[in-house]
Amino acid sequence: MRRRRMPNGPNGPLGRYLTVMTFNVGEHRQSGGKLLAAAAAILMVCGLGLPPLAAADTDQCTPPGIDGAIALPRKLATATRPQEDKYITGDVEPLSSVDIGALGLSTPGALTVGALSQAPPTTCINSTGRFTGFDNELLRAIAGKLGLRVNFVGTDFSGLLAQVASRRFDVGSASITATEARRRTVGFTNGYDFGYFSLVVPAGSAIIGFDDLTRGQRIGVVQGTVEDAYVVETLHLQPVKFPDFTTVYASLKTRQIDAWVGPALEALDAVHPGDPAAIVAHTFSLGNYVAYAVAKENRPLIAALNSGLDAVIADGTWSQLYTDWVPRPLPPGWEPGSKAALTPHLPDFATIAARHHRALDEPAPPKSTLDQLRDSFFDWDLYKQAIPVLFTTGLPNTLILTVSATVIGLVFGMVLAVAGISRTRWLRWPARVYTDMFRGLPEVVIILIIGLGVGPVVGGLTNNNPYPLGIAALGLTAAAYVGEIFRSGIQSVESGQLEASRALGFSYQAAMRLVVVPQGIRRVLPALVNQFIALLKGSALVYFLGLIAGQRELFQVGRDFNAQTGSLSPLVAAGVFYLMLTIPLTHLVNFIDVRLRRGRPSAEPGDTLDLITSTSGQEMT
Amino acid sequence: MAETARPEPVSLAGKDIHLSFGKNAVLRGVDIDVPAGATVAVIGPSGSGKSTLLRTLNRLYEPDSGDILLDGRSVLRDNPDRLRQRIGMVFQHFNLFPHRSVLDNVMLAPRKLRRLSADAARELALAQLDRVGLKHKAAARPGTLSGGQQQRVAIARALAMAPQVMFFDEATSALDPEMVKGILALIADLGADGMTMLVVTHEMGFARSTSDAVVFMDHGNVVETGPPAQIFEAARTERLQRFLSQVL
Repeated sequence: MRRRRMPNGPNGPLGRYLTVMTFNVGEHRQSGGKLLAAAAAILMVCGLGLPPLAAADTDQCTPPGIDGAIALPRKLATATRPQEDKYITGDVEPLSSVDIGALGLSTPGALTVGALSQAPPTTCINSTGRFTGFDNELLRAIAGKLGLRVNFVGTDFSGLLAQVASRRFDVGSASITATEARRRTVGFTNGYDFGYFSLVVPAGSAIIGFDDLTRGQRIGVVQGTVEDAYVVETLHLQPVKFPDFTTVYASLKTRQIDAWVGPALEALDAVHPGDPAAIVAHTFSLGNYVAYAVAKENRPLIAALNSGLDAVIADGTWSQLYTDWVPRPLPPGWEPGSKAALTPHLPDFATIAARHHRALDEPAPPKSTLDQLRDSFFDWDLYKQAIPVLFTTGLPNTLILTVSATVIGLVFGMVLAVAGISRTRWLRWPARVYTDMFRGLPEVVIILIIGLGVGPVVGGLTNNNPYPLGIAALGLTAAAYVGEIFRSGIQSVESGQLEASRALGFSYQAAMRLVVVPQGIRRVLPALVNQFIALLKGSALVYFLGLIAGQRELFQVGRDFNAQTGSLSPLVAAGVFYLMLTIPLTHLVNFIDVRLRRGRPSAEPGDTLDLITSTSGQEMT
Repeated sequence: MAETARPEPVSLAGKDIHLSFGKNAVLRGVDIDVPAGATVAVIGPSGSGKSTLLRTLNRLYEPDSGDILLDGRSVLRDNPDRLRQRIGMVFQHFNLFPHRSVLDNVMLAPRKLRRLSADAARELALAQLDRVGLKHKAAARPGTLSGGQQQRVAIARALAMAPQVMFFDEATSALDPEMVKGILALIADLGADGMTMLVVTHEMGFARSTSDAVVFMDHGNVVETGPPAQIFEAARTERLQRFLSQVL
């Protein structure tokens, strides 16, 4: 059904990666960095060990092209559409009268766009890390007409509209259906696409239409989407809400849910032939059309995008992208752009689809369970694709996030610990309250509150980049745990140490600094390394804030590959990276532990320390 | 012996010192007098307030009322840190800094508080260690030393600040019996050198042979004071007699 490009030809990303690595080896040898050279050599051998790169038919984030054309579902094609939309503008300003200085952009000269990384074919990241899909490519073309650059940032659908409303993003591009309810939060451009829903059920399900959905069934939707609203408001049922399409569909395949109500294009893209799932019915979306979301009060930007949209319709770009990415007939009576926009010329998709015998309801032979398992966990081509990106993007970012947050955690944790054991209640109480708050909240809540709540307040400072906020959230949380670890360590030092120091004439501060705190820290080193491990794993949560492609840490790199392909193999690969970091650290803890307990091998048995290796609740969630 | 200039001995006195921890009155009007260069032993049952008295006289605990005179001058308005630099203290459990070497233990206070250069502090510390016979252990960690050796290091550490007065708080109580004699001899040597010393001890033989005066405390009061011969052979109070009959 889909035509995929070869992502891994000699000029594909992996081929390029190998070239770069080989170059690096030479460079390292010249500089005499033996260790680096050895590491690079090992990598290169691993790379050379790969078999000739086959055409991996895995990237869902590529355009299907005109041969992938589908007909409108029969039932849908004849259905009555909702009423004509009163929001479509009658006309647009000419492009030449758009003043890009007046568009209120957070970065002058560029659109900052919130997009989804895993909803092909409309918005997704492809295997080269580029945000693409129909919506995003169209937006690039529109921005080109306006003379603007486009910076895409990945985010979750559930938070997208709020982030657009708060001006974290100038534009939301996520196949957003322009509904009345959403217009209370954000403004919309004219439509560039239309939407309808598919009902997807596990193979062999008794459900064959929307009328069969009843109370007591587990109906999956993506949180905050029109499908969510449709199930609640039109069907009067309570859906099971998921963060993204990949997770819903994975749950459906494993029969953890009874049905998935999803956008038709995404459903069609997700359901591979042979999957234990079938698309059984379609219906119209709630609103009339799909549009870009813009902050409600930013009328100049909405008007500019409308001008650009009419321009790309007029010059045929819209038709080309539509044909490449989402080839299917327009529903009767609907056209993109303003009412004055030209009628786009499109091939006769229904005829092409008929020639290729592609219908939406076409069944396919089911795959065996073993095949499914192999596709999910042992897709070697996917490992080969994922590992270089995990190395070059995921690993550095995970380490940057973890190490930066650790530094914040150590410094601020020490402040909390010293304040927590202070004799002054004005130091002790705030430290106590802080620690209780940050230890008592799930980390994901802290990350979302700091990232989405504090983010817009300090937007100027961070240039609307959530990366520092993620570090701050992780660091501030770690500080609460580290503070408790330090406090327990300091308090475990015998009171005689402070007394002896003070008897010598040291002030309280000097005695703590020179004698008590250094001993306390030594005792809690194992607990601190444990905390570092927890932080390393916790860094995956930063993905909630939306990161541009180059900022993705290990988990999100794996997650994006997982979303492109539906296979769990990239996540397994990311997991292996985490283990390569955490297992040595775990053994380091044990080593420090034994060393401090028993002393160095040459030391006499007397040289021991009481160790505090665990404090309550050091594990982050 | 020590090359450092020894300060002139000074006197120490506590006048009507009261101290309570909450409702618990620990010192109830203690008067004590340590003449310049004298060694005064403090004896008494556990919980009588002996150790608390030492910690109050160097203001580790601030007295509720009363006065402390060092060299005849009240020190209650002085900076307590400065006061404690003039009074060395040795503890029952040594309280050496386990994360630092023996040399660093002795060097730390002179270096940081007397602001000596690293070389000067090291020279001073080695001299003090030599004085207690442990120069060869300078690089060791305290944890590798015997109890007696640790207490010698603790004495060297206190002396490195060139104190005018030395306090010993049951300095031999945590030692194995064979170590006790050496430490007591070291303390006696210090006294013979003219150091003003206040020694809380359970070693009655030491109190009798080495001190110039003995103070008997019970329930936060000084019950009886006098020269050792009088205290041990002609106790006047029933409480002292009963105490001596139990410990001798």
